[in-house]
Amino acid sequence: MKSPSSIVSEGGAINGLLPVDTVVDLIKAGASLSLAGRKAALDRLPAGNWIAGTSPYFMTAQGGRIVDDDVLFVTDLGAIGTVTFATYEAHELERISGEAPDNGLALAIIPGGSACHTEFAQNAANYPMAFMRPTVGWISGHDLEKEGHTPWVYDGQVAKAFPDRVAVAQVTLPDGESPVIEIVNIFAPDGGDVIHFEETGFTPEWCTVNGTRQRFCDYVLARGREGCDLPLVGNYGGAHVNASLKTIDTETGTVELFAPVFPGVDYAFAAPVADYAGDFRQALAEHPTAGTVWSCNCILNFMFGKLEGVAIGGAAGPVTFGEIAYQLLNQTMVVLRKE
Amino acid sequence: MSLPAQGSPVWGRLANGGLSRLQTSHLGTQMLMKRLELSPAPASAKATEIYNYFVKWERSLANEVAQLNRL
Repeated sequence: MKSPSSIVSEGGAINGLLPVDTVVDLIKAGASLSLAGRKAALDRLPAGNWIAGTSPYFMTAQGGRIVDDDVLFVTDLGAIGTVTFATYEAHELERISGEAPDNGLALAIIPGGSACHTEFAQNAANYPMAFMRPTVGWISGHDLEKEGHTPWVYDGQVAKAFPDRVAVAQVTLPDGESPVIEIVNIFAPDGGDVIHFEETGFTPEWCTVNGTRQRFCDYVLARGREGCDLPLVGNYGGAHVNASLKTIDTETGTVELFAPVFPGVDYAFAAPVADYAGDFRQALAEHPTAGTVWSCNCILNFMFGKLEGVAIGGAAGPVTFGEIAYQLLNQTMVVLRKE
Repeated sequence: MSLPAQGSPVWGRLANGGLSRLQTSHLGTQMLMKRLELSPAPASAKATEIYNYFVKWERSLANEVAQLNRL
């Protein structure tokens, strides 16, 4: 079964947009699925072997799309491995990797803005099995043009939506296969100031810039970064891990981020990007594609990059309000491959 | 190159700062390096964690394993 807007990975697994009625048939046939779409579409699904999260935004082979209630994005997890499903509350999140299979991964969907989102963002890297049994996934969102819409995740086993639980598919890979978790980040440090933070959090009040302590809001304004289009880039052993700016309240001096910053990490503002789609296209053209089974990309890339209707290559996937590759990321594409 | 045995001093050296000199583009390894750098755990616990990590992902870390004895 193929969707015109899907990218079919090696082995012909479904990873693309399908009509809701077709998804209902797949669920009734017992397929193990990861789904994404609008709440009105997800609310029509019967109980079965699936998890889901809300987002109307997707990257497809033809370009970025904003979908209506008639389609869902479908990833056939059964083609990747053997799948079991679970949900977790905020105080249980270290069980996501703790209960993941030895040879496999956890695919997690977390409701945006929930206590689970905050807990995972601040602590995921310190969960005992975080790097032995990797977690990939995404933060659910909503249509930014619709008043009152909020993020949800779904436990397909009971066909129920939750605003405050993590829906997880534990995927065991066949013997001889291993998961490969990679990121495509078009942002790099601008090579100027090095920024440090004193505390873990989404709203840092103070920072140290090249050794001089100052209010973070003042620094952001002094750098002219109030447009929030360029993230902070953290150096994690050479990996570029973004924390994106969400809002700036100049009256209270509050800067809110989409991901927490951490003490002990070197941060810098990202260098400007001249050609958002072109940079993604180039990065993805150089990225290994063998065994790609799943991906997601960030709503900030979709919006700031004006990616609706613009093809960038790579695997299709949901456009998300935070990405997960071991820990929470921002403004980044996450790719899951098997090798 | 095969992985050093668990009793090898390599793991202790890595736990005491050697890991920061590892050249890698493997995302999980990069993030683990940062986690361990910031961790208050004793070096012996870090050495065990690094050893178990390399045992688990040895097949994907050929370039990294080749560096272990010189870190």
